[in-house]
Amino acid sequence: MKKQLAFYIDAKRCIGCFTCAMACKNQYHQESGVIWRDVYELKEEIYPHRERAFYSLACNHCENPTCLNVCPVVAYYKREADGVVVHEQDKCIGCGNCIRSCPYGAPRYNPVLKRAEKCSFCWQRLDDDRKPACVLSCPTDALQIVDLAEFDEANAVQYPAGFPRYPSLNPSVRFRLPAMPKMIRRKL
Amino acid sequence: MSEMELPLVIFTVLSQTAVGLVAISAIRQHAADGPAGSVRPEWMTAALLLIAGLVASLFHLGHPLGAPLAIKHLGSAWLSREALGIGVFTALVIVGFLSARDRVNAGLSFAAAAVGLIALFFTAMTYSPPGFPALNNVMPFVFFLLTAAMVGAGFASYFTSAEKMPMITRILAVSLIIGLVVYLVVPFLWLSGGTVMRQTGLNYISSPLYWARIIVGLVIPLMAIWRMRTLAAWVPVLVLAGEIMGRIAFFLLAVHASANMGGIY
Amino acid sequence: MDKRDADSVKQAIGCPMSRRKFLRCLAAAGALAAMPGGLLRPFGAEAEKIIYEGDYEIYRNACPRNCYDTCAIKSYVKDGVLQFIEGAQESTFTDGGLCVKGYAYTRRPYSPDRIKYPMIQDGRGSGNWRRISWDEAMDMIAKKLVEINEKDDSMLGLGLTKYSGNFGITNYAVEGMMTSLGYTTRLVGTPCWPAGIDAQNYDLGDMWCNDPEDMVNSRYIILWGANPAWNSVHSMKYIYAAQDRGAKVVCIDPVFTQTAAKADVYWQVDTSMDGALALGMARHILDKGLFDKAWVRANSVGFDEFADYLRNEITVQWAAEKSGIPQQQIVEVAEEFATAKPATIWIGYGLQRHVNGGATVRSIDALAAMTGNVGKTGGGARYGHLRTWGFNYHALLQKRPEGAKGFVGGDGPKGDFDFSGDEKAEYTDRALNINKTAEMLLTADDPPIRVLWISCKNVLSQDFDRPKMLEAFKKPELIVSVEQFFTQTVELSDIVLPVTTLFEEYTINASYWHYWLSVNEQAIKPMYEAKSNTEIAAALSARMNKLKPGSCTFPTEVDTRQWMIKEFNQDIYDLFGIDSWEDLKNGPAKAKMHPASWHDLEFGTPSKKYEFRSDLCAQHGHQALPKFKAARKPYDKLRLLTPHTKFGIHSQFINIDWMEDFNKKPYCYLHPGAARERGIGDGDQVRVFNKVGEVELEVKLTQNVPADVVMMYEAWFKNNSFNCQNVVDDTSSDMGKYKTGAPGVAIHDQFADVEKV
Ligand SMILES: Nc1nc2c(c(=O)[nH]1)N[C@H]1C(S)=C(S)[C@@H](COP(=O)(O)OP(=O)(O)OC[C@H]3O[C@@H](n4cnc5c(=O)[nH]c(N)nc54)[C@H](O)[C@@H]3O)O[C@H]1N2
Ligand SMILES: Nc1nc2c(c(=O)[nH]1)N[C@H]1C(S)=C(S)[C@@H](COP(=O)(O)OP(=O)(O)OC[C@H]3O[C@@H](n4cnc5c(=O)[nH]c(N)nc54)[C@H](O)[C@@H]3O)O[C@H]1N2
Ligand code: SF4
Ligand code: SF4
Ligand code: SF4
Ligand code: SF4
Ligand code: SF4
Ligand SMILES: [Mo]
Repeated sequence: MKKQLAFYIDAKRCIGCFTCAMACKNQYHQESGVIWRDVYELKEEIYPHRERAFYSLACNHCENPTCLNVCPVVAYYKREADGVVVHEQDKCIGCGNCIRSCPYGAPRYNPVLKRAEKCSFCWQRLDDDRKPACVLSCPTDALQIVDLAEFDEANAVQYPAGFPRYPSLNPSVRFRLPAMPKMIRRKL
Repeated sequence: MSEMELPLVIFTVLSQTAVGLVAISAIRQHAADGPAGSVRPEWMTAALLLIAGLVASLFHLGHPLGAPLAIKHLGSAWLSREALGIGVFTALVIVGFLSARDRVNAGLSFAAAAVGLIALFFTAMTYSPPGFPALNNVMPFVFFLLTAAMVGAGFASYFTSAEKMPMITRILAVSLIIGLVVYLVVPFLWLSGGTVMRQTGLNYISSPLYWARIIVGLVIPLMAIWRMRTLAAWVPVLVLAGEIMGRIAFFLLAVHASANMGGIY
Repeated sequence: MDKRDADSVKQAIGCPMSRRKFLRCLAAAGALAAMPGGLLRPFGAEAEKIIYEGDYEIYRNACPRNCYDTCAIKSYVKDGVLQFIEGAQESTFTDGGLCVKGYAYTRRPYSPDRIKYPMIQDGRGSGNWRRISWDEAMDMIAKKLVEINEKDDSMLGLGLTKYSGNFGITNYAVEGMMTSLGYTTRLVGTPCWPAGIDAQNYDLGDMWCNDPEDMVNSRYIILWGANPAWNSVHSMKYIYAAQDRGAKVVCIDPVFTQTAAKADVYWQVDTSMDGALALGMARHILDKGLFDKAWVRANSVGFDEFADYLRNEITVQWAAEKSGIPQQQIVEVAEEFATAKPATIWIGYGLQRHVNGGATVRSIDALAAMTGNVGKTGGGARYGHLRTWGFNYHALLQKRPEGAKGFVGGDGPKGDFDFSGDEKAEYTDRALNINKTAEMLLTADDPPIRVLWISCKNVLSQDFDRPKMLEAFKKPELIVSVEQFFTQTVELSDIVLPVTTLFEEYTINASYWHYWLSVNEQAIKPMYEAKSNTEIAAALSARMNKLKPGSCTFPTEVDTRQWMIKEFNQDIYDLFGIDSWEDLKNGPAKAKMHPASWHDLEFGTPSKKYEFRSDLCAQHGHQALPKFKAARKPYDKLRLLTPHTKFGIHSQFINIDWMEDFNKKPYCYLHPGAARERGIGDGDQVRVFNKVGEVELEVKLTQNVPADVVMMYEAWFKNNSFNCQNVVDDTSSDMGKYKTGAPGVAIHDQFADVEKV
């Protein structure tokens, strides 16, 4: 398999602290309301305690990116070397097609520039031998960067509950599921 | 819930109306006996609808000046194909209008209709993306075809001579019946789908807009045709109004897949 | 420069502030280059590449908030504008990261809501703010100070309230400024951790915790009333590392916190009944003979008395009844804790904010000591420390003006971070309890507090009994706030002075938790007319001396960089293994300290041993033994908890627009059972009310809180009147007076009811 960078989201370690999401804002100064990485809480039907388990998600740099496929002006390209899906904002005419298309909600509309934008996998940082800002920021190493060509983690899943399954896109992301402690509650 | 996308509402409804109008015109002129009707004004109307739609569509772009670039990605982007398709269709309609005497050349008529239908298919593909599970299927194509048939037939009635009105009325009535069934059934089908589809279905069922479009655009026109046994001039206007409401609902009420992130899909 | 850029410069100079435009506007003065937003605008593969080391000026900063983590920051500046920041990778503790608040810093100096100039409010609370010059502001304040000094023949009419807005060492210039004006009134103490500090001082002779990085060595960890997943995010990785090595983690909290969700066992203890729980565990350990006999014999006093107390008055069954934790569990965890060596307990600050908080901490300390876990790596009763804070306190230690008169008979520490040493003088400052600020302002007399100076403190948001505080704020003749934002405190001030953010000043930062030290450089020029706390002191001094020569001893010219350098000494250099402060420009340094506190078993108590029986504690009016102390009697139907939020540190950060993207408004949390009884549904707007006051906000239903609790996080949202202090009174906790000058406050011994509005 060719090199394909991916995010590894270890929900067992993740504390839902939003550090990764803010680290991205710190790096790219998105407009208010524009979020490239968000931290989604798992609903109670998946993790029975409200606001206590999370997936930190951005663009999944899919093997077969629908954003790229649907963009009428070819504003996206997928890097040969590492599979990163890059959006060239200059070329974007703001048709919103990628935003509607991507089921993961990764591309967002920038109301000031009137163009789409999304997580770049910090490719400029990668090219400078730096970790993506979000990955570097994570205080618990719950968010990591892996190469799917070499990734070999028995317990990892691609489509955990709470993350939509789109095999045709083949999102470059892997998860470890959250765990729960033994609960001793007071009787009232 | 999503955005209302008014420019897209106008663009899609008008362009589909034009497709319907041209297709029905082709049939009426060349596949049925009798007078052709007012073909020139009809094709001019189709051309104007298309131009108005295209202008409207520019308002949807963050950078309208980049619109011509939108055909760069024919290899995979349905939107590029749509842009090309609608462009060619518009050109054919204009040529048709310019070259028309009392009829438009049969080859050209059918070619234009075919290209229009293909463009309509491209549009449908553009608006059935993975991001909207309720729409990521054949439904947009069905919806858009119905628009072409209903509003197209409705508008065609204005250019049709009395002899052929029954034919047009029949086309419209059948389309309306199919439309009524489809629009009444589809939201309930969605209810049995995954979470996001279900949410879309619930949005429809609980939206006054959806019910208003059923009544205004489908029920009243059908009843009017049934009661009067002919097509009153105001009926196509209602059908158009209903389609516009329906198209607003199409964009507004569809739930994006990412809205349920963290929940059961 | 392409055309769009040129246009944007034109626009930017006009500057209606959109974010990127605003940054470009700043850069337009220098060479216009790619802003971070510009990363999105590639010009072709060549031009797109970003050179991180080389194209940016890189500075060292440190987060000065009242936070365990005191993160070392690496700041990237271009064209005089802060572009982005990272955690310093040199610190193993920070490991290249900050927290959600930390990363919002990039926005903070440029926040459109910053206080930009000195301003005066015509009519306190009127909202009629007017810009004035620094000269005018200083003139008005100085005249008032001269006036009150003449009226009272002392400066006691000048009161200072300062706490934890900024813990940079040079910010003690605020206290220094007060000293240099004469003997003043100080609101002393701390809402934070005082009961526990006293408790640890009675037991061990100081508050001194193991290196948090040493938690990896623990075989058993009890997180007791602490929520590091939110309040010390960088500590979590050590807890995980211990878990990965087989350690069991138990979290004890009335709330199922994010930390609890990461533990192996969660105990939902009845609030403020932890003392009973600890003593029940101790009793069982005693019965089973699992305590460390050799350790207690060699290193402690009073163990036999403690053991007698346990045998005579404590049973596991009683502990279970009091705490709500089943006997079987208490027995199991007690045995595991006693036999896993080393085992450690992290004692949180939330735990001791109770009328019995000090007593509770003492009983938990006892558990760690009797099992021989004190003084060991991977062990310890971890609370906090100030062992790396041995600076010169040059900014703090100013002379009083000649002939200054003050208070007679006041002594004792002036807070938890009181480094002023023993001042032997005829007069002292007048010390008032910071945890009863409203009461103190209302009752202080002869002279009353005529001028209130507020710095690094958001009184109206963070202090207790807000309805009373609103009354109290009517009393002073002049209220001056030194601030960055228009807080609810500024709203009730007369003059506000704009203060620098961490990027705009020099200082040094040490932690009360980990062992790292960081320098904080000035990375960007102060925005607008902001001045550092030190410069403000100098400006005031200049004006005072102009009006009345000799009335203020504070230097009138300060070079803040020099002042930072003056805080260092050889002991600091030796402790951190550096030759000069400049070494810190290469990254933070870690103290060369043993990872285990009390590793030499030389305790700081009068007996030099661990004191199960503390006579000093008894002298101070408490129990000599770590006995159970009763809780506060409920005064309403539900217990009210107001702990700390992940999106802010107290009243800071939540107002930053980047943060608003993730945290839009406050909520309260209620158990579905309690909600059902009250006809409340999820998402309803509710009123939380008690004898103090009321708060209205949206409710989220969750079993994360017990059925007898309503919880909301303390926070300040801009453009939102939410304030939890409307329902929190100022009842004192048991301990705190000894080491911090005033008792703590029973923040979590509050009660309230909820109804749908
Ligand atoms: N109900 C309830 N109340 C609580 C608590 C609770 O758990 N529940 N917790 C308590 C605890 S533990 C604490 S520590 C306190 C904290 O209360 P405070 O010490 O008041 O802490 P902050 O809100 O962090 O900061 C106060 C102000 O300092 C300002 N500031 C920041 N930097 C500077 C600077 O350099 N100079 C100046 N002059 N000002 C600056 C900030 O803008 C902010 O408005 O709150 C206590 N109050
Ligand atoms: N994100 C963030 N980080 C912070 C701060 C912040 O405001 N936000 N504040 C900083 C400051 S100044 C401080 S003091 C620390 C505070 O750090 P912590 O002490 O960890 O935090 P708190 O939220 O004050 O309280 C911790 C827990 O105590 C629990 N608690 C309350 N009463 C009891 C009890 O009777 N028994 C037990 N077992 N638990 C109880 C609360 O439910 C809460 O979960 O955090 C620092 N770090
Ligand atoms: S920074 Fe790490 S722990 Fe925090 S939310 Fe992101 S992934 Fe989770
Ligand atoms: S997640 Fe969405 S935006 Fe990212 S590569 Fe896949 S399809 Fe494109
Ligand atoms: S919004 Fe921009 S990037 Fe997305 S599809 Fe349209 S032109 Fe392409
Ligand atoms: S990889 Fe970079 S761009 Fe993508 S979410 Fe992380 S910080 Fe943002
Ligand atoms: S608030 Fe605490 S964790 Fe966050 S950056 Fe500051 S010191 Fe670090
Ligand atoms: Mo605190």
